[in-house]
Amino acid sequence: MLGRVATERPFLLLPPLHRVPLRVGNVVELVGPSASAKTHILIQAAVNCILPKEWNGVHYGGLERLVMFIDLDCRFDILRLSEILKHQITEPNGSMYYDEELYALCMRRFLYVRCYDSLEFLATLKTLHYRLQKEKEVHHVGIQLLMIDSIGPFHWVDRGSTFFPLGGNKRKCLSLQSVFDAVVQDIKKLLLVHPMLVMATKEIILGNAYGGDEVKQNKSLLDASGLRNLASNTQQLPYREYMPSVWQSFVTHKILVRASDDHMPIRHYEEHSVYLSEWLLPSISFRDKFTVKDAGIVIVT
Amino acid sequence: MCCVDTGKESVKEMAPLKALEAEYPILDPNFQAFCASHGIFSVEDFLIHDLYELAAFAEQQPTSEKLKQGITQVLSIIDTQHQPWLNGMELLDDALYNKHVLSTGCEGIDLLLGGGLREGQLTELVGPSSCGKTQVCLLAASNVATKHMGNVVYLDTGNSFSPQRIAQFVGHIAGRAFDEAGKRIFQRIMNGIVCHSVFDIFTMFNVLHRLVINFPSQLQKGGQVRMLIVDSISSLITPILGNSGSQGRALMISAGYMLKKLAHEHNVAVLVTNHTVGGERGIPKPALGQTWKSIPHVRLLLSGDHGNNVRSISVLRHPSMDFFTAGTDTSAISMKWALAELINHPNVLKKEGEEINRVVGNK
Repeated sequence: MLGRVATERPFLLLPPLHRVPLRVGNVVELVGPSASAKTHILIQAAVNCILPKEWNGVHYGGLERLVMFIDLDCRFDILRLSEILKHQITEPNGSMYYDEELYALCMRRFLYVRCYDSLEFLATLKTLHYRLQKEKEVHHVGIQLLMIDSIGPFHWVDRGSTFFPLGGNKRKCLSLQSVFDAVVQDIKKLLLVHPMLVMATKEIILGNAYGGDEVKQNKSLLDASGLRNLASNTQQLPYREYMPSVWQSFVTHKILVRASDDHMPIRHYEEHSVYLSEWLLPSISFRDKFTVKDAGIVIVT
Repeated sequence: MCCVDTGKESVKEMAPLKALEAEYPILDPNFQAFCASHGIFSVEDFLIHDLYELAAFAEQQPTSEKLKQGITQVLSIIDTQHQPWLNGMELLDDALYNKHVLSTGCEGIDLLLGGGLREGQLTELVGPSSCGKTQVCLLAASNVATKHMGNVVYLDTGNSFSPQRIAQFVGHIAGRAFDEAGKRIFQRIMNGIVCHSVFDIFTMFNVLHRLVINFPSQLQKGGQVRMLIVDSISSLITPILGNSGSQGRALMISAGYMLKKLAHEHNVAVLVTNHTVGGERGIPKPALGQTWKSIPHVRLLLSGDHGNNVRSISVLRHPSMDFFTAGTDTSAISMKWALAELINHPNVLKKEGEEINRVVGNK
């Protein structure tokens, strides 16, 4: 009973997701163009989730829960997560020593599945409940985060699919709409039995859909009044929405991330990209700047 | 037993569920009829339906127990239709023990990527025409066949594959021992590089399908394919993109996922090239732009001036590196070295040319 109360209490994620308290059952969408550190943000949140609050007297401040990462981009790099996890484990000890046992324990709390098309995604969601139950029994902790990276890669394929509705007019066709009706429905059902926070990334094209020099477009968008308008009027998005409305209305929180033209000089020959994050839903005019370092995401001021 | 046999068409359409009956007797005609009354004729139809709702409907039927058993059965069939569940440790083991880094033979690229191209990943080389993309591909193929003892499948879309060039590279990398043993080794390496001429995307799908089917037998023979090169992917995809239709984009995404699946499941490093076209304000942009760029794991930009051999290469995206914008000076210098190396060793094996031609003739 106590555990249940605890899971329903709002909690804060690591920057840049720290501005708004989130609860299990919320659906957070991380929106941004290609290479805007969306997956890094997920990895950071995942590491924080699988780390224990405390271990052998050392404070790690993690949530000590399971994470399920559904990889629709099929680009996830476990080495990156492993690297950040090792950093987080060694840091509180103040030495290069890291606890092998703790590392393995945390790594096993990270659950992963990849999907090469929408049907595999649906098959995953349809059977996820049973899998999560099994994992819960093994690890004696429940799931806290369901991550989807990213939500839209198959939308062109689903839009192009022509599945003839033979066999009577009652038969649903496989389409972008029917796929996302089912996706939202299946996740809603899952949330009833496994209260968790859903985080999905979505790749968007900022401004006009031209190739090549997106960096410049980002800059002009930032410098121009575009963003300031955005803060006051959330209806006016700086990108074209392509997801069906059934998904859009399922999303409770929305954050826009993008790369900025600034660079943080680390050493004289090396520099780190700076990214910007901004809450679109709820709309907060405050913008955060962050960089991605070896140890993870760091807010810059 | 009832049957919703309303016509020939519905019988044909019911085949998918019906086809499962032999293996799973619980999916009997009664179950099929129940599903059909809810517009479900195949396992795929189940995926876009609410199974809890369906189970509730089954509850109201006289044969509810059997129907619910049927739904459970379908659910366990669905459980076989997604990729395996893995945890972080299993994923890490796969990455460490099955996904090796293959050096390209091009020191600039290897330095930039921390060793070379990773098996399981799709790497894209973007650049204008005649900037050396094909040379990098040929060198990478030669290096992987020679140094990593792996077979290479090379899909050539523009008749730019050069067996002579490959032979030069292989001869240079393997050293020049031209005794009998040396020739045998040379021959074996050359046999390990197979080129297919591919002029449209459907041919590419065919070649890849056959490749996947042949993987188990190739593994037994010991000649494992470790690298797949598509030079260039953009010339296969741009003709189908058209103006605004979604069909072309759907094919493009499918092609990308097919390559990524092949890379991951068979531990192959995939290298594709993408040419550039004139964008707005005369700034060149990749022929495959916004929709494509979410596909590759690694994007490399190759550029250079005409008339000299100075090239620079930069990383546009990388899963574990923070290289968003143009490369640093070091990377540019490395690549200068690499292309100089290519150019300093022309015609190393001129004499062998004709023999080589027979060995690696286009298939």
